Amino acid sequence: MQSFIIAKKELTLLIRDKLTATVLFGLPFAMILILGLLLGEGFGQKTDDLMRISVLNLDKGFGLNNKPWAQHAIEDMVSTPNIKVEIIQNKELAEELVKTGKRAAVIIFNPGFSDRVNECSFLSTGVNPFHRDGIYLEKLQVSIVKDNKQPATSAIIESVCQIALLRIVMPWMIGKAFEKLGDPEFIELLGKEVSLPVPPSLRLLIPKDKIPLGELLELASGKDVVLAKNYREKVGAGIQTALTGQFKNYNLTGKSWASLTRSVNNAETVNTLTTFKNEDGTGILKRGAIRYQILVPSFTVMFAFSLILISGWIFVAEKRQGTFNRLLSTPVSTPSILLGKFLPTIIISLFQIFFLLGLGKVLLGLKIGLPSWALSDWMIALIILPLATSFCVASFSLLIGLLSKNETQLALFSSVPVCLFALIGGCIFPWEMMPDNAKSLAFLTPQGWALDAFREIMPSSFDTTTDFQLIWKSTLVLTGMGFILISITWITLGRIRFGNS
Amino acid sequence: MTQAHSVILKIDNVTKLHGQFKALNTICLEINRGEIFGLLGPNGAGKSTLLSILAGASKPSSGFTWLDGMEIQPNNLKLRARIGLVPQDFAFYEDLTAKENLVFFGQLFGMHGEVLNNKVNEILKIIGLDDEKAHQYSKYFSGGMKRRLNLGIALVHSPDILMLDEPTVGVDPQSRNRIFEAIKTINAMGTTVIYTTHYMEEAEALCNRIAILNHGEIIACDTLQNLLSLTQTTINFSIHENDQIKSGILQKKLPELKSDPLQGSYSLTSHKNSTPDIINLLVNEKIQIINLHLDSPNLEKVFLSLTGRHLRD
Repeated sequence: MQSFIIAKKELTLLIRDKLTATVLFGLPFAMILILGLLLGEGFGQKTDDLMRISVLNLDKGFGLNNKPWAQHAIEDMVSTPNIKVEIIQNKELAEELVKTGKRAAVIIFNPGFSDRVNECSFLSTGVNPFHRDGIYLEKLQVSIVKDNKQPATSAIIESVCQIALLRIVMPWMIGKAFEKLGDPEFIELLGKEVSLPVPPSLRLLIPKDKIPLGELLELASGKDVVLAKNYREKVGAGIQTALTGQFKNYNLTGKSWASLTRSVNNAETVNTLTTFKNEDGTGILKRGAIRYQILVPSFTVMFAFSLILISGWIFVAEKRQGTFNRLLSTPVSTPSILLGKFLPTIIISLFQIFFLLGLGKVLLGLKIGLPSWALSDWMIALIILPLATSFCVASFSLLIGLLSKNETQLALFSSVPVCLFALIGGCIFPWEMMPDNAKSLAFLTPQGWALDAFREIMPSSFDTTTDFQLIWKSTLVLTGMGFILISITWITLGRIRFGNS
Repeated sequence: MTQAHSVILKIDNVTKLHGQFKALNTICLEINRGEIFGLLGPNGAGKSTLLSILAGASKPSSGFTWLDGMEIQPNNLKLRARIGLVPQDFAFYEDLTAKENLVFFGQLFGMHGEVLNNKVNEILKIIGLDDEKAHQYSKYFSGGMKRRLNLGIALVHSPDILMLDEPTVGVDPQSRNRIFEAIKTINAMGTTVIYTTHYMEEAEALCNRIAILNHGEIIACDTLQNLLSLTQTTINFSIHENDQIKSGILQKKLPELKSDPLQGSYSLTSHKNSTPDIINLLVNEKIQIINLHLDSPNLEKVFLSLTGRHLRD
């Protein structure tokens, strides 16, 4: 009962100390907000191992297999190792992303791309897209919007585009050219261009030294037009067969790179095609930005544990002012007095956590939980986990406050759990930005466990499930740490109680 | 009522060590029920240490203390309810009002409801904070008002024994008088008071019995009158120059008289009661007195005579 009286007094004092109350609740949110506005969308995200190629597909035509050529080009890029293709929805967005420096370049397949590829041919009447260094993009109605401030990256993206286009256009043109070998026009041309020597035994019939192939075929057909055409087709087919036999490693009629080169897809990884998603948030506050999913749990945990310093400070101030000794002169047992100091820390910590999560949800569009969560899941996430965290914080506060004889000692003792543990625990620099083994070190700290669980209840846009086993594990560890700290406090209590004796 | 029954607090061979330093050395005292007992001594004499032990806030290194036959132990919660401690520091919450502070500590002593409310109002009246000041945050109080609130908190649970550790440090005379009045009022209601101070005037004005502490030891303990009797009054007077020729008569009748013939001044240390006799002698001898000054005995002189140093050294 007396513990509640002391707890009520502590809370009354806190409410009346408006500056402290403001700092306690306002500062963490202000920091989240300031960092949220300052940091880029990539904050807290794992660095991409893949090269991101952004593509805008406006192609309206059709190419091989009745599929737009742009689709072929995109699939080619997707199947290229170490490349991640991202589809941009419209031209305005593409230009905006480049203009704001968020993308180094965006490849645009314009509406006439398929038609232009279809027109590409080795024939003089066709479109020749090649030049010394590659392909004329403009001839194929391909454009690249580039950020001049990122020339190296945009040059790499253009090279990727050039290679993809070569792999699309070249087999297509070769295939089409190979088909032309059977055309009557080609055999007609061949018949005129190729002359064969007339053997002496046939000189009486053909009084020439040489005879063009065309005339020979006509003679062979006995001037029969149909038969002559048939012979010409056989010559064409024969040439094609001969070439196929000669270059048997290639399918000259394949019209696609894979087919032409008879290659089998040996890629170990299958890259996925993604669609651009705005993770930078909207409005002045960048509402819904993905970085808030990192910042809010980080600062929630960090400031919850910073209560160690504040609670400890109040405790030390009480000892210094003599009010603690006065409490000890009342018929209230020392454990009851300490419980009276323990309870407000839990209550303040819980309020702080709910305040930050609530404000994050309302103002910053923070995503908490998943639609699939049941009521029990919400209870674990929003009651049991915050309670376990606050219990650990309060236990730490009690021990540090009790051990510290003055403000200097308190500052020294609390710097470890407040600052160092926050750093190791991943509250200041997200784990994604730290070395790989840093996360295992983080689990030596209560902040690391708390943060792991809080991040799990605030999923990123790609998360579709929640690891409740992880949340339970963290909750149990935090509770266990709290009990260990209370046990240490209990053991040292006798010594501290008579510390001035 | 026997002598044994009148003793409320007994201190038996209490020694307190702070490392090698002996803060208290084999203190033995008995404090009677209903008296105002003074602990007088210079700073560092061990007054606060002794009070801390008596209040159960710390343990003696050796020896025992009893309150009404029950040994005072730090963990004895029942005993705490019978003791009111007024520490030297302002031990209250400055962001609570005077009334809230009293209510808070009253609740910790298990009081509640109308009983608590009536008691708080009574205490506020005793300490002179019963007007609008009762509802002011105590951080805005003057030093004197803070001292009074500090005293009031120790009274809220109606303790049998009130222990005050230098309760008038840094207060104005008006507030000091109010504190004295409050202490006298509480004492009149039956509360035993232990009052530590290094101001002899306060001990003289308030205490029935006084123990003088020096370097952790009791060097004297008695009623004020008996302590004062340990020293004598000094009478200083000077006579008119025309009467200087009669100095021989004075020296003859008062052999202990110390004189300075050139200045015409004389001094005599004797019992205070002999002063009228000396004046009568001067009048009878028709010696004209220019001035006369009585240097009466006080605790400062007692302390000086016992220790060879001043209380405020």
